[in-house]
Amino acid sequence: MPLLETVDVKVRFGGNVALDDVSISVEPASITGLIGPNGAGKTTLFNAITGLQSLSGGRVMLNGRDVTKLPPHKRARQGLARTFQRLELFTSLSVRDNVRVAGEIRNRWGLGGGRMDTNAEADRIIDLVGLRDVADREVGEIPTGQARVVELARALMIKPTLLLLDEPASGQTEDETEAFGHLLGRLAAEDGLGICLVEHDMALVMNVCETIHVLEFGRMIASGTADEVRNDPAVIDAYLGAPESVG
Amino acid sequence: MQTFLQYTILGLVVGGVYFIAASGLVVTYTTSGIFNFAQGAIAMLAAFTYWQVRWGWGWPAPLALLLVLGVLAPLLGAVLYQVIMKNLRGTSEVTKIIVPVGVMLGFLSLATWIWNPTPRTPRLFYKFFGANATVKIFDVRLTWHEIIAFFLAIVIAGGIAFLFRRTRSGVAMRAVVDDPDLLQLNGGRPERLATLSWAGGAFLAALAGILITPIQGTAMSANALTLLVIDAFAAAMFGRLKSLPRTFVGAIVLGLATNYVIAYFPANKWTWTGAFRSSIPMILLFVVLLVLPQDRLRGATVLRTRERFRMPSLRTAWIAGLVLVVVVWALRTIMATTAINTLAYGITLSIIALSLVLLTGYAGEINLAALSFGAIGTIIVFHYGISGTGNDARMTLWGILLAAVVCAVVGALVALPALRLRGLYLALATMAFGVFVSRMVLTEIGERELFGIKFSIFQGGSLTIPRPEIGPFDFKSNDSFLMLATVVFALMAVGLVSLRHSNYGRRLAAMKDSPAACATLGMSVVRLKLSVFMMSAAIAGVGGVLMSAQLGSVNLDRFDIFLSLVILLLTVVGGIGYASGALFSGVLFGCSILAIQNTLTKLGSDYKSLEAVFGFLVSAVSVMPATIGVTMGKNPSGAITDIVESLEGIKKSKPLMLTMIGLQVLIWALAWQGVINNWHFVIFTAANLLIVPPLGGAVLKNMALKKAGVEPPVPPELIGIDRPFTDDDRLAIEHALGLDAVPLPVSAPVHHQEEAAHAPA
Repeated sequence: MPLLETVDVKVRFGGNVALDDVSISVEPASITGLIGPNGAGKTTLFNAITGLQSLSGGRVMLNGRDVTKLPPHKRARQGLARTFQRLELFTSLSVRDNVRVAGEIRNRWGLGGGRMDTNAEADRIIDLVGLRDVADREVGEIPTGQARVVELARALMIKPTLLLLDEPASGQTEDETEAFGHLLGRLAAEDGLGICLVEHDMALVMNVCETIHVLEFGRMIASGTADEVRNDPAVIDAYLGAPESVG
Repeated sequence: MQTFLQYTILGLVVGGVYFIAASGLVVTYTTSGIFNFAQGAIAMLAAFTYWQVRWGWGWPAPLALLLVLGVLAPLLGAVLYQVIMKNLRGTSEVTKIIVPVGVMLGFLSLATWIWNPTPRTPRLFYKFFGANATVKIFDVRLTWHEIIAFFLAIVIAGGIAFLFRRTRSGVAMRAVVDDPDLLQLNGGRPERLATLSWAGGAFLAALAGILITPIQGTAMSANALTLLVIDAFAAAMFGRLKSLPRTFVGAIVLGLATNYVIAYFPANKWTWTGAFRSSIPMILLFVVLLVLPQDRLRGATVLRTRERFRMPSLRTAWIAGLVLVVVVWALRTIMATTAINTLAYGITLSIIALSLVLLTGYAGEINLAALSFGAIGTIIVFHYGISGTGNDARMTLWGILLAAVVCAVVGALVALPALRLRGLYLALATMAFGVFVSRMVLTEIGERELFGIKFSIFQGGSLTIPRPEIGPFDFKSNDSFLMLATVVFALMAVGLVSLRHSNYGRRLAAMKDSPAACATLGMSVVRLKLSVFMMSAAIAGVGGVLMSAQLGSVNLDRFDIFLSLVILLLTVVGGIGYASGALFSGVLFGCSILAIQNTLTKLGSDYKSLEAVFGFLVSAVSVMPATIGVTMGKNPSGAITDIVESLEGIKKSKPLMLTMIGLQVLIWALAWQGVINNWHFVIFTAANLLIVPPLGGAVLKNMALKKAGVEPPVPPELIGIDRPFTDDDRLAIEHALGLDAVPLPVSAPVHHQEEAAHAPA
């Protein structure tokens, strides 16, 4: 059973169709890529899945359960976590507190006995993603590339089973991106996370993703493995422009 | 039937005027994203100006209208936007609410400054064509003024709809609020359009003000007129600040409802008719909030807010609290009784302001009616928290605690409908609550009977509240009460700081910074908001109870909504993220402004020839809070941040700090012994705080440098000119450029090093 399934998801802004019957799925212990030109609706799809954007049609299923009517915080409690393309960090807190507070929020989900030691867990995750050096700095002071990693660390604190990453590698250096790719692979393979990755860094997407969905103008134009997508004529059109339309 | 028709038509007229004011709100909000709290104040200013020109100077009506509606009002709106509101782009929602509130208060004090609130002959404001120019419609006698008002409303409704839908500027106006940058890229000019819409909004406000003043038939009072148009807020809410047709419906419903109350619950049979009627808009506002659909959760509205508050450590907070108690204790010994009372009043206000630090500074929500919770607390204590009578009457600890609990519960009821919505709606709900308390609760001065129980809520219009007695401690004397208030403030402040460092405080900060991120982490934002609002209401309640105990007896003026607004404004100016911001607010409002005004008034009466000058200064001081408030757009972190930053230098230098403390103790001892009087004490203290740090800092720095044998640093552009270029300089430059430092061969000649340094540039 897939962790996440969107069934014919539709989102309209006035007369503007942002998403038109988009159906994707994410399996456990795998990385799924979501690519497409700017304005294709990738972030809108993430907002629809997490509940920040209400749907005009279709359904969102988490673990086989229909969550379309649930508010964002209840969806998160089903094991769904995300990062934001436009950073949504807690700017009045330090890097460590940004991560820690996510655990403190999780401790108040009403899970009963399952409370975590937020200090120890925050330290573990900060080490895991490689933020040790900046842990005590104000989150507003660190470079964007690292700030995106803080978003990832914060999302990991709530021990999700499904992780949506919105352009996590933009602003990172080449070395950072490479390390980041390894980290994603480990999270999927060792912790069994299902990861859905929106990214413009094609090298990263092609390297780590088993399945890739391609969006253009709110429609899904292709899905498949990296090789299939790379050679799909519709995808080539979307990224390079159709030969006829040139000139 | 006659009654029904008459009040229906009158209701339509009043509703029409509400719509004119509300449409102005909608226009400015949709184009600039700022809710213009000053709308009512603009209407009030326009009404007063029109009165001045029309009847004060005797101009003909068309000329007066042309001046006020055609020139002054649009000009005021445009200037407001250009000078103040424009700067609010990219600030937090809190600042966007505070600044227009500041403008409103500024206009209010301006009006009372120019137009004496108690004129010798009452200002008469006539209807257009006079009260006798009437026609009969369906057996109902209507004045031309009323007919004009209603048809103007319809014309304006059609006009704005046409403007927004059909004209290029109108469509562009709607685009401004969505994305000004994008509009600019597409050749639109958002700044010009927003200015235009503010000019239009001010025009509509002014028109509403001139139309409604004679219809309501009230005496021209600045406060009442300002609040009159606040009623239009409810209509604008009905349209969710977006839809003009729905705003129109809301306004008409409001106009009809208020008039039917007068028609069918005549004041001679129902003693509460007047209060109920004037509360209807507020009640309706609440109902609208209840039925509004949930907003989309926002992320951080701005990428990087300009507000920055560095949290003091708990240890710093304890030290600061202790210092405060010691300082107040030392001051107490040299102060006269009146000064002690004034200071105690200021500190109880500071406790109320602390409730705002928790709510606004920590959690990013707004309460515009802090004092109204103080009123609720005071009523509870009056009824249930006093033991003994006469001179032996004391407030009990249980009474204070009960007041806190009741305020928390009332707070929950006020906040619940608005918690699903954006901060602006909570702010409006609290404002509605504040006006409701002033109009319906605090006016309940007579005795009523319900189910055989006789009670009167605000007995006789003035409650006598004794000082508290807690365990073995009696706080009846002025001295001891001052110390009680100070200790309570200090403990609460330390408590707030420790709360901010707890996991609850971190969750509050997270919610303030990004509600969207919190929700996607699984936080139920509504529950957290509710809990913090309740806590804040309880603190405001306790502060209010202590304020009443300090004053001894309180009437409804003490809990006026405008006072709540001034306290909020001053706290933001002081620094809403800090407990010291609350102290700044309470003491400045409770003591300094009053003290300065009293001094000036006294000087005025001492030197008769200069009375006018001092009178002017007194008025100028009353405008002060608003003036400093509207500058918030430029410095949203508040004054305390600046002060703390300037004190950083002192903290680093032990000798300087000790010198200052020593000097201050000396000054105090001299005052205590009566060698110098209190005026000199204030002057010397100010000198010690303002002049010694920079002076001493400079001296100490030079001394330290000489002692260490280090010369003062040479600015980079003079390196190589004032002194030779060294290898250390090269390393510093390479470090700054982010290059890996490569040590040069020891024998490298100097000019090579210079080349190396120039190369990367």
